[in-house]
Amino acid sequence: MSSIKQIPVIEEKRTNPLARVFDELVRFCRSRSLFLLHYCTGCGAIELPPAMTSRFDMERLGIQPMVSPRQADILLITGYVSIKTLKRVILTYEQMGSPKYVIGICSCTVNGGMYWQSYATAKKLDEYMPVDLYIAGCMPRPEAVIEGLQQLMQRIKTGEAKGWEDYYRNYDYYLGNQQKLFGNDWQTPTDVITEAKHYDLLGEGTLGEHTALLEQHQQPLEALEMRLGHQVKEPAE
Amino acid sequence: MRPENYEAQRQPPSNEFELNFGPNHPGIEGNYALKLKLHGDQVVEAKADGGYLHRGFEKLMEQRLWIQNIALVPRICVPDPSPMELCYSMAVEQLCGLEVPERAQWIRVMQLELSRIAAHLFTFGGHAATTGMYSTMYWGVADRDLLLDLFEEFTGGRVYSIYNIPGGVRRELPDGFLQRVSETLDYLESRLPDYDNLFFKNQVFVRRAKGVGVMSQEQALAWGVTGPNLRATGLAFDVRRDDPYLVYDQLEFEIPTEESGDAWARTLVRRLELVQSIRILRQVVEALPDIRGPIRAPIPNPLAWNVPAGEVYTRVESSKGETCYFVVSNGGPKPYRVHVRGPSSMHAVQVLEKMSVGSRIEDIAQTMFSLDACPPEVDR
Amino acid sequence: MSKEIAHWLDNLLEEIEGIKVRRKSSRRVRVDVPADALPALLELLQGRAGYIHLSAISCVDWIEEEEFELVYHVWSYESHSLVSAHIRIARDPGVYLSVYDLYQPAAFFERDIHEMYGIHFEGSPNMEKFILTEWNGPPPMRKEFDSEAYINEHLSWQNYNPEWLQELIAEGGGIIIPPEEQRFSQKKK
Repeated sequence: MSSIKQIPVIEEKRTNPLARVFDELVRFCRSRSLFLLHYCTGCGAIELPPAMTSRFDMERLGIQPMVSPRQADILLITGYVSIKTLKRVILTYEQMGSPKYVIGICSCTVNGGMYWQSYATAKKLDEYMPVDLYIAGCMPRPEAVIEGLQQLMQRIKTGEAKGWEDYYRNYDYYLGNQQKLFGNDWQTPTDVITEAKHYDLLGEGTLGEHTALLEQHQQPLEALEMRLGHQVKEPAE
Repeated sequence: MRPENYEAQRQPPSNEFELNFGPNHPGIEGNYALKLKLHGDQVVEAKADGGYLHRGFEKLMEQRLWIQNIALVPRICVPDPSPMELCYSMAVEQLCGLEVPERAQWIRVMQLELSRIAAHLFTFGGHAATTGMYSTMYWGVADRDLLLDLFEEFTGGRVYSIYNIPGGVRRELPDGFLQRVSETLDYLESRLPDYDNLFFKNQVFVRRAKGVGVMSQEQALAWGVTGPNLRATGLAFDVRRDDPYLVYDQLEFEIPTEESGDAWARTLVRRLELVQSIRILRQVVEALPDIRGPIRAPIPNPLAWNVPAGEVYTRVESSKGETCYFVVSNGGPKPYRVHVRGPSSMHAVQVLEKMSVGSRIEDIAQTMFSLDACPPEVDR
Repeated sequence: MSKEIAHWLDNLLEEIEGIKVRRKSSRRVRVDVPADALPALLELLQGRAGYIHLSAISCVDWIEEEEFELVYHVWSYESHSLVSAHIRIARDPGVYLSVYDLYQPAAFFERDIHEMYGIHFEGSPNMEKFILTEWNGPPPMRKEFDSEAYINEHLSWQNYNPEWLQELIAEGGGIIIPPEEQRFSQKKK
């Protein structure tokens, strides 16, 4: 869980002979149109404008910045994440539509980097969310960023980049670490467990003591009826 | 997060609403947030929300050796790191009474001015992008990269150079380096008319930026604004001239000013400063070959270096304003206290809050980029 | 010109009791005043000597003397000199007056010192948290706050000690000066 290699790869069994071909096509298409979320979490973001613009030009690989997390595929964690930012990063990550990929840029995301003594930054990013790829360096050059993105494209094409599935399968582990850092009343407006059921990714690690703790104080999120027209509910008095 | 999980609630009829502007927003510079209260699309109240980039530098510096902090300080301001290095090095030199060799001082001036040009290209590129002119941003970032190549050649680092150490600079310049600096300056100068035609004379930019985020000189002085933002209101104040450090008192340069104090004037002042920085660099390139000698003063074993007790306040003009360090030593191997006064701590918090009121949502990004707010300096 | 101003400034400063003036260089003046005389000093500097720019307010925690030192750096655009006014206040309860009515930039610095050191400034317009809004611990810049102990309790990180480095060290190479010795070079003194 804490290392990428431990993520279990589950072989899918398909009966339709065309399914495999179709899966490969989908993965190929996914790897060729990646949208990076435009969120500068730390100092590594200063090397992204050169990587995106004329000189190194990421767009020739089909990678473009995107402003809304809903439409983005890649969350770049550019450098150290302070604890205040980490909350927003987790919120953003959960809002992104699956499949989604996380890249940790800079040494600080790996192990705290030069801020290992700092009270304000989180040290290991992969305790709080699954990371598909790390690009080490302080800060990595644009060439390194592009090289890393190409590796990610390769991993998407071969179906290895499955960090997002791990988040659903081992939600309890990640939630536990988040609760340890943010306090037991930590809650995001996202219903990860229902999403895991939706994607059929409910694993052994999805539910556990931490999700039980979450349910205790979580305000139940009830689905509204689908209605036509814009009707608003009267506030309860 | 699924939309059906949200229950829409009836609000009293009103045009007022609140908007969280950032931290994840393309119109904000860096990782920073503004909480806006809006009436229609007009801002009624703005509150800055920082701390997303807080690393506790001042605490970290108390826990590390004097020499270790050299690697830490450039991280405080990402787009323009060199003044931070210099300011800290100067503080340690003044505490120890170290005399910096003349050659090192000239090399430091070169590093500072290269860094200033890079930061200004980046800033007005960013400002252009907020008005929808992405070509200027693409050009600005690409031209900045040429300067980063120079940095890489003589310091070893593209962004964080870690080149200044107390007592001097770390390395001698490579062979033929000054020639390459001069070629890059030629190229940059040849680009300036292009920038003028593309951006500064462009009616799209002029009409968008004029009259946005106006502050008068009295307001700027009362709010503690420094740097290009103060000069855009008509006061010719520059730490390089009025509180000189290094060899700036031997160099010829002017201090460009503008009168109107709006977003347009601030960006124009940066454009005019590019010319002055190029002028300074030309003088450095000319003078450096004749100035020979060591590049750093001998310092004691840096791993067991007890800096004499005392306190010192050093000031350096960065691309954003006056950068100050207040360093206190109690005679130990580590600083007792380092206070970093980033220039943005003034104009990115209080001034931005006050100037946003009354403007429209789409002008906030312009105001922020034209002020050249640098959130990591505020948060430290 | 500047000598005249310096002389004039020295005369001006003599009007305040208990003041110690030390000229550190041609553009830096250090002034030590009793805490209750500081507002009068700043008013004098701003009103009569043109020190209208508050560059910074710094705070130093002298834990052994049970005192906080507050340093007000003011700059004059006319005489081109910087006066650093040092005062000491008791560490407990750590309350002082705001100078916001004289210098507006003070609001930011006072707010910053409030959240980093826990000093309360009476009359400051905004004492809410700005940077540490989601921080529940003690004010982190105080000397008694041990950040290494805090991170060992709340966060996990790994010491970098791979096998190849261990082999090198066993052969007598690797990092020549171990980090422990670097950090406590004080002990040898």
